Amino acid sequence: MVDFALVHRPALAGAKSGSFGAPATGNRITLAALPEGHVLQVLGSKGSAGLEDLIRQIADGNQTAARAYGPGQWFVVGDATLSPTEIAGKAALLSGKASIAEQSHGRIRIGMSGGSVEAVLAKGTAVDLDRAKFPVGRSAMTLIGHISALITRTGDESFEVMVLRGFAESLWDELIQMSLEFGVDARATV
Amino acid sequence: MASLIACPHCGPRPKEEFTVRGDAGITRPAPDAREDAWYAYVYLRDNPRGRHKEHWHHTSGCRRWLIVERDTVTHAVYAVTDAAAQGETA
Ligand SMILES: [Zn+2]
Repeated sequence: MVDFALVHRPALAGAKSGSFGAPATGNRITLAALPEGHVLQVLGSKGSAGLEDLIRQIADGNQTAARAYGPGQWFVVGDATLSPTEIAGKAALLSGKASIAEQSHGRIRIGMSGGSVEAVLAKGTAVDLDRAKFPVGRSAMTLIGHISALITRTGDESFEVMVLRGFAESLWDELIQMSLEFGVDARATV
Repeated sequence: MASLIACPHCGPRPKEEFTVRGDAGITRPAPDAREDAWYAYVYLRDNPRGRHKEHWHHTSGCRRWLIVERDTVTHAVYAVTDAAAQGETA
């Protein structure tokens, strides 16, 4: 028996939205909650190597969809929601060389862009995000302040930050705070 | 963020991203070993001054166990390697 209906709400539905901080500096930051589509954690089996091409086959074709963050560990993400059948189909493609853990409701993606985006992220992480060292498609699991997050470069001046759902709003507020000196436009609704 | 550990998988990262387990030279006793062997394994540790090998877990990064060889006085880091044997990981 169900005592009350469970309502699925986006994790950032109630988060701060609007323009904050310095007026037009020419280097404004844009923060955007991204669609809660799919997040698949893919773990390579013991002793398997050279899985990159295989992992790319289960991604949606986007250049930055498959994100390596350690030996034999990836996140495969995308805007589309996937049914259990579709995920099972992807698992079959991996033919035992890697396994999938569905994390779509557990992790939240935040898009971040603007001319000063590297300077803002550098306030929270020690990872060198310079384009020469951290090209488009590169990912790093790290701490932003005290919150664990996966940072991915998606363009010349754009990054995605993926964070555990329960930490999403806290990180969102911190990213706004870190961006104030440049000015920030935050869109919490997809 | 002064102390950096050069993770072989992630590059230099601040020590705040890691969890230290301690001495990497201790071997687990056989399951039927005497109680004093288990007591020593679980509780007894040296407190060495100087060069020392430790297990560090890159908790907020690649989540791999690493062996960090460092000087406990100067914190000079001599080597960081993955704790798993070659070919054991994906
Ligand atoms: Zn690492």
